[in-house]
Amino acid sequence: MTRALEVDSHDTATATTGAARTDQGGSAADQVFSYKELARLDEALTMSSRETGLRFTLYVGELRTPTRAHAEELHARSGANPADAVLIAVSPGQRVVEVVTGASSARRLPDRACALAVLSMTSSFANGDLVGGIVNGLRQLSDQAGHPASLRH
Amino acid sequence: MNVAEALLVFAGIPLAIVVVLAVLTLKPGADRRPRYKPGQAWDYAPIWFEPHPAHTGGHDPAPAHGPAAVPGSSGTAALGSSMYPEQPAERNTDTGDSAGPAAGRSQGATAHAPQPAGPLGGARGTW
Repeated sequence: MTRALEVDSHDTATATTGAARTDQGGSAADQVFSYKELARLDEALTMSSRETGLRFTLYVGELRTPTRAHAEELHARSGANPADAVLIAVSPGQRVVEVVTGASSARRLPDRACALAVLSMTSSFANGDLVGGIVNGLRQLSDQAGHPASLRH
Repeated sequence: MNVAEALLVFAGIPLAIVVVLAVLTLKPGADRRPRYKPGQAWDYAPIWFEPHPAHTGGHDPAPAHGPAAVPGSSGTAALGSSMYPEQPAERNTDTGDSAGPAAGRSQGATAHAPQPAGPLGGARGTW
């Protein structure tokens, strides 16, 4: 197996000292997604939040089983003002995606629009394209929510 | 043309071409991670991404944001400012107030107490 050369940390680890930070395993930022995919997710989240004034957050990981209840619990903690938040919770292991909207974001994103976005996300996920599905779903949700007049200038 | 030259021309050169093509074909995918396939297990730690708290206008309370409800005491492995892995203490908050955000973070800790967001909407999908 080839490995990328370790050039990020400037730790001076040798064979006789402790390991460098990147050799210790642990939490590499690109363990789940590559840096390119992370940049796509980051841009999609930031731009759709900025465009709509809502606060989109994305959870990728396992959900406890009633997944809806766990997603709503996460949504309640997703920011200072959860009424404006939109949580997209993807659990690839359980093959479930949940979209949770708060009280005021649900006025801009009705359940039918969320269901449409979820449908396009699941069709991408079924093809194995996690990041593409998430980005497309975010685009669809932010298109539906629109650009409020208070954000125009 | 003796035997050595013939071998070199008729075996060596085609072999070299094949090797060059094989290297060009296989090398770009050597360090690629396995692609997610539906139905395979997902044994990574949960990650929670949030948008950059930039200068959004309107009613977004963005400038005061800390991490999205990460109450743990360990440092978050942030990429930029938008990636916050969920901390282990967060996994078992059934009611939300036992190990919630009041676990002693310096900034942004009290702002993300679980609060009801009114009637929730949304959708659910499986694949």
